[in-house]
Amino acid sequence: MSQALLQVTDLSAAYGQVFALRDFSCRVEEGNITALVGSNGAGKTTFLRSLSGLLPPRQGRVDFDGGDITHQPSDQRVEAGLVMVPEGRLIFPTFTVEQNLKIGAISKRARDDLAEGLERSYALFPKLEQRRHQPGGTLSGGEQQMLAVARGLMARPRLLMLDEPTLGLAPLIAEAIFEMMVQLKETGLTLLIVEQDVNRTLQIADYAYVLENGAGVMAGEAQDILADPKVRESYLGI
Amino acid sequence: MDILFSPQLLAAALITGVLYALISLGLNLIYGTMRLLNVAHGDLVMIGSYIAFMAFSLFNVGPLISMFGAAIICGGLGWLAYRSVFQNLLSNSEILARLEENSLLLFFGISVVVQNLVILFFTADRQGYEYLSAIVEIGDVRLTGARLAVLIVGSVVSIAAVLYLRFSLFGLAINALIQNRDASAIVGINVDRVQMFSLVIGFGITGLAGALISVLEPITPVMGFPYTMSAFVVIILGGLGNLWGGFLAGLLLGFLEIYGVAVTGPEWRSVLVYGIFIGILIFRPQGLLGRGRVAR
Repeated sequence: MSQALLQVTDLSAAYGQVFALRDFSCRVEEGNITALVGSNGAGKTTFLRSLSGLLPPRQGRVDFDGGDITHQPSDQRVEAGLVMVPEGRLIFPTFTVEQNLKIGAISKRARDDLAEGLERSYALFPKLEQRRHQPGGTLSGGEQQMLAVARGLMARPRLLMLDEPTLGLAPLIAEAIFEMMVQLKETGLTLLIVEQDVNRTLQIADYAYVLENGAGVMAGEAQDILADPKVRESYLGI
Repeated sequence: MDILFSPQLLAAALITGVLYALISLGLNLIYGTMRLLNVAHGDLVMIGSYIAFMAFSLFNVGPLISMFGAAIICGGLGWLAYRSVFQNLLSNSEILARLEENSLLLFFGISVVVQNLVILFFTADRQGYEYLSAIVEIGDVRLTGARLAVLIVGSVVSIAAVLYLRFSLFGLAINALIQNRDASAIVGINVDRVQMFSLVIGFGITGLAGALISVLEPITPVMGFPYTMSAFVVIILGGLGNLWGGFLAGLLLGFLEIYGVAVTGPEWRSVLVYGIFIGILIFRPQGLLGRGRVAR
């Protein structure tokens, strides 16, 4: 097998004594959309928190672009191009839209590219340009999600991890976010998506993993996972 | 009530306000970025004052030079405190959750130790020195050269600091960390570095303010405490973690105190300051300009 952009080996993570993720392994190939699905509390967000450096793993190893990043702080991961768009968006509410975008380009690899990055963000999300001087906290949920994605893109990611990007959004806006993820893939970006909308996510993904109670229970081509009778019963209610 | 309209009083209020703004900016930086309740903050004013006093009495160096030394030494103490204690505490998420309460006790202990060390070396006696004591007249305002110098230097430093924090990329990173720690980490801010610089800058500008204050009032080991209280009143008035609000609130408290004392009398100073403090907590706990306590 070729060298994957992200390679996770036997990763375990815990909050205090409670393990939320146990011996989970996966890989993300360059240029792909990789999806991670599972019910609430399956350990999906824990996994992304470990990958972004917010929650130090208890065991296991994470390799990004051939280098061991298991114990690197968050800012060095961003510097290497591993960027997360977190659940709940975590935009800076008192910063204007433009300040939110600027802070997204604080890493050294992105800083020189700031003006170009702003242009790209506004081209991708014209709504953000209209609201560029408005505080981030005053945007609607959908706009905040766009801002969070745009802020992540400002860092010039090589792998963009999206945690529940459509959670709490109206169906039309959620669909726009899915279409945007496909667009991003077409520009050559690698994506890792954690999503509660299993059906729609598996439709756009290339490869998928299923998490249950903190452990990986299934992995395969997204098409095959989508066609699997067990998945259809447990997650799609069909 | 003629005195209320005298330019003299206006100058006095500006001097006090600018110093409060500067000192509370330091406290706000430290509280905002790390949620550390530095109740030893006023002791940095005291240390800065003693540095200026020693520089003058031993080497005949005036406070306008020694204030840089005070800033560097106090900033160095901040660096030392960060490296020896807070870096470890802040990187452990379980300790972090309880750090705010515990830091209060920790700094209280530091305050007692520092004050007693200073008493040991310098005695508890009041110290002071003469510096630029000639009266300067600008229009109707008559004030000593030293007070004029404090007004100018204090204004320049505090305005420069506020502008830097508001418009530079590093200032944006500090403001981001004040708003949300996790969000700051994931956008790529070097949280560790921002925390260290916040402590260094916060301690440094407070030490600098202390050097300036050494020409205005007697220098004693316990002179810092009123500044600790005023600084806390100011950052609560301006909204915790709101740097710009705190700056304006510092000026405001300076005016309230000087004009309030002019109307009532110096024995009412503490009543005024604490009265404002309690009043805010009752009627506007999020601060006059505050947006409420920002989420962690």
